[in-house]
Amino acid sequence: MAAGKVDSDGRKSNRSESQNEHDPDQYEEEEPDFSDPDGFVDDVDDEELLPDLLRSKPKESDGIDSVVIVDNVPQVGPERLEKLKNVVSKIFSKFGKIKSDFYPVDENNVSKGYCFVEFTSPVHAQEAMKTADGYKLDKQHTFAVNLFSDFEKYSAVPDEIDPPEPRPYKDPGNLLYWLQNKECVDMYSCIFEGGEKTAIYSNTTEPTVVQERARWTETYVRWSPNGTYLATLHAKGIALWGGPEFSQIMRFSHPGVQLIDFSPCERYLVTFSPVQEPRDEGDAIIIWDIRTGLKKRGFMCENQSTWPIFKWNVDGKYFARMGTDQISVYETPSFGLLEKKSIKIQGVRDFTWSPTDNMIAYWTSEHKNSPARVVLIEIPSRKELCVRNLFNVADCKMHWQKAGDYLCVKVDRYFKAKKTEETDQIKYSGIHYNFELFRVREKLIPVDKVETKDQVMAFAWEPNGSRFAFIHSDSPKINVTVYKMKPDGKVDLLKTLEKRVANHLFWSPTGQFLVLAGLRSMNGVLEFIDTTDMTTMNQTEHFMATDVEWDPTGRYVVSAVSWWGHKVDNAYWIWSFQGNLLTKQPLERFCQLLWRPRPPTLLSEKKLKEIKKNVKKYSQQFDSEDSQKRKTASKELLEKRQQLLTEFEDYRQQKLEEYNRTRDIRIEMRDGVDTDDIDSHEENFEEETIEFLLKVEEIIVEE
Amino acid sequence: MKPILLQGHERSITQVKYNREGDLIFSSSKDNIPNVWYSLNGERLGSYNGHNGAVWSLDVNWDTTKVLTGSADNTCKLWDCETGKNIYSIETRTGVRTCSFSFSGRILAVSTDKTMGLPCELQFYDALDPQQLRQSKPFLSIPVEGSKITTALWGPFEEYMITGHETGEMRQYDTKTGEQVLEIKEHSKQINDLQGSKDLTMIVSASKDSTAKLFDTSTLDHLKTYKTERNVNSASISPIRDHVVLGGGQEAMEVTTTSTRIGKFDARFFSLVFEEEFARVKGHFGPINTVVFHPDGKSYASGAEDGFIRVHYFDPNYFDFDFEI
Repeated sequence: MAAGKVDSDGRKSNRSESQNEHDPDQYEEEEPDFSDPDGFVDDVDDEELLPDLLRSKPKESDGIDSVVIVDNVPQVGPERLEKLKNVVSKIFSKFGKIKSDFYPVDENNVSKGYCFVEFTSPVHAQEAMKTADGYKLDKQHTFAVNLFSDFEKYSAVPDEIDPPEPRPYKDPGNLLYWLQNKECVDMYSCIFEGGEKTAIYSNTTEPTVVQERARWTETYVRWSPNGTYLATLHAKGIALWGGPEFSQIMRFSHPGVQLIDFSPCERYLVTFSPVQEPRDEGDAIIIWDIRTGLKKRGFMCENQSTWPIFKWNVDGKYFARMGTDQISVYETPSFGLLEKKSIKIQGVRDFTWSPTDNMIAYWTSEHKNSPARVVLIEIPSRKELCVRNLFNVADCKMHWQKAGDYLCVKVDRYFKAKKTEETDQIKYSGIHYNFELFRVREKLIPVDKVETKDQVMAFAWEPNGSRFAFIHSDSPKINVTVYKMKPDGKVDLLKTLEKRVANHLFWSPTGQFLVLAGLRSMNGVLEFIDTTDMTTMNQTEHFMATDVEWDPTGRYVVSAVSWWGHKVDNAYWIWSFQGNLLTKQPLERFCQLLWRPRPPTLLSEKKLKEIKKNVKKYSQQFDSEDSQKRKTASKELLEKRQQLLTEFEDYRQQKLEEYNRTRDIRIEMRDGVDTDDIDSHEENFEEETIEFLLKVEEIIVEE
Repeated sequence: MKPILLQGHERSITQVKYNREGDLIFSSSKDNIPNVWYSLNGERLGSYNGHNGAVWSLDVNWDTTKVLTGSADNTCKLWDCETGKNIYSIETRTGVRTCSFSFSGRILAVSTDKTMGLPCELQFYDALDPQQLRQSKPFLSIPVEGSKITTALWGPFEEYMITGHETGEMRQYDTKTGEQVLEIKEHSKQINDLQGSKDLTMIVSASKDSTAKLFDTSTLDHLKTYKTERNVNSASISPIRDHVVLGGGQEAMEVTTTSTRIGKFDARFFSLVFEEEFARVKGHFGPINTVVFHPDGKSYASGAEDGFIRVHYFDPNYFDFDFEI
């Protein structure tokens, strides 16, 4: 207040000074008059004058945030209070500088068993509350630490509670309606216009729009594993959509969410966000129940590892993650650690669930004199089913066949390893590769081995068969080899396709057919292969393609040029499984196409066999339907052309009549010359001779 | 048939035109020197020397006696076609973007660029009045509001002028009163070219929005759309068949790889009526800036950013081809 007064006086003195400026003599001789004239009323208030100072003026509530209350402090007499203070401040000074503390005492000067600690900053108080709460001072005393600002909140808890109203059941409609399509037409999602628009299409001859929305997602979309839900990502969290109208089924709030993963059973959703409020640090990863929308458990994310951090088993009963020297398996629906302890595994590098069984495969790197190991264990019994020792291992990659029959471990091995001094990294030389092939379904799990000297660029199992294919390069030559697992420990080489342009391979989801693709830097070369006899059905290209996707039924293949990878010619093309181009769909700044997955078939093994046996009968029916459709399509096209032509001819007729009517005007404008036809005044043409060079011949003249 | 390559320009071609009979090809380029060639064998007949800047536009009158060229050097020059002598040099305040003879050849239309704070203008000169040409005083000058004219075309009877603009509009200006009669916006980006059908009842526009469109000349009713996936710089209607040829390609500054495949510098042939593409001609290794049918419809010429003009004569199967209906 006082400061404000002085300042306002000073300002007034300035004013009087400027009044006197015209009279310098007077100014020099006389002291300027600083006092207010009579009857002056100060009309400038402090708020107007020094808002910045006032803003930093301390308030009563300031500092409350920096105070914590500590309960369960030992009750001591005055003689030991000093000692207690020392002990307590030693514990709490870990979190920040202690500004003051206060130990209330009763009439006997015995401390009351709680105290207040004030830090210099609320951040320290937060830290203290989080860490020191539950601190065991001794057997009898466990600290209970609370923020002073929370005190009121907790003390005002009403005794009566209002039970929350049960939410009315909202019928989302038939979430699986799209499976009832008679012709088994699949759907796919497309993001285009650089992410501005998202649409769902039906894969009919010309794509039919099922749903198109602007700004449906802020980054990308995901289908759930069985195609029931479409997940969209937003700054605030995740939304799930489904049903015939793609209405919103559920929302999950997780600010800054970046990555998501569904459990295979579609019951749980895992979300990851790198953005965290300081208060809920434990919620970098959240697991949600999809049907209730409730958060089941939050996890911290300490170490950077590859997504998905949590891997689910086939039925969603267990999920697991890897830590340093351990794998932690959790169970649902309790979301607790299985048997309350992690599985200790020295030097574990990677693990993966069997896609069909409660079985985990993991591998450990070499440690001192013990070899690297690949181990299969059963969950929840933790019984080791198979152990394979390996030497000179640089790296391993595990690939399960989708039916869970086989596991292939691609092992990178070296002849020599050298530790570089400066970086402490190990340099391997003379790398060669082999595939350890585990026959999981056979007794005692026998392991076969296939070796290659070339660098392996891609590997993939036939999803439901016994073949596997890999791309290997003996640079600059790139070859593709396909093997088949035979009973009795035999692995047969089917064929090596030499000198191919490929860096990716894609098996049809139903097996047998294989697409080799040279994506991105390889210009989008595509090769369609039938692996029963290893014939190439078609060799073609989608220039600059960035992605290839099989539809879930194995009938179609999509190749796409995504705007995310390439800025021009963004489009997706749909091919038949034999490599016949069916349609080209250019879309402005097209980004991503994802087929809507299908749930596993409900048909029994027997029924499937029966269908396969009678496939001829069915295919006849389909063929006739297809040819009928083609006929109508070409008929429609011809009809459309016919109509366009008739319309255009009518228009032209009318225009030509007009044109002919105005002939005289034109002749008049061009000095009486009729120029309507190109040679209409040929008499005016001048002949000109133009020379052409036809050929040059050199003839040697005989002497 | 093997195409004829017209080599002689040192920089990218801006416009190519046939005379009415089709025996001569006139070409302008950024190298300042317009040329005239025999269309039959590609031999250069002569050039028109005198400009000091890129020549954006050129035209030849109906009886092939005079040539008009518009340049970035702020002049529009009238030449004697046969001798190559410069008759008049009209001076403008900014660069000349388009210039053309009217149907009778008696009126010259000139449009200027909107630069240095000066507006785009559409000017008309009487070709028979030496006073106007010598003193650069048009009998009518229309200040063009909004975006500048990038291409212009005379209506059939000198009554109006159709202009294409930088932001995709098309307008019709009355050449007597100077009033704007019509304005449409069917294109979302710059219109690079406007060409009329043989009888001038229809016009085809070429736009940077990767489409070409067909319009009725008098009403500017939109009739057809021809879609590509690259800039369209020029389009021309066949005088004898219901075909339209489009030239364009990825802009030179946008080309990131040296591959001509990605640039798509092809001439593309569409059915005028069905809007379906049925043929492509490769050859240029830069975007095609200008494409035009020969008046007899049996060949066409294209000029490109690569500095070449290619004259293609159609094979017999071009004339045999018909859409199934």
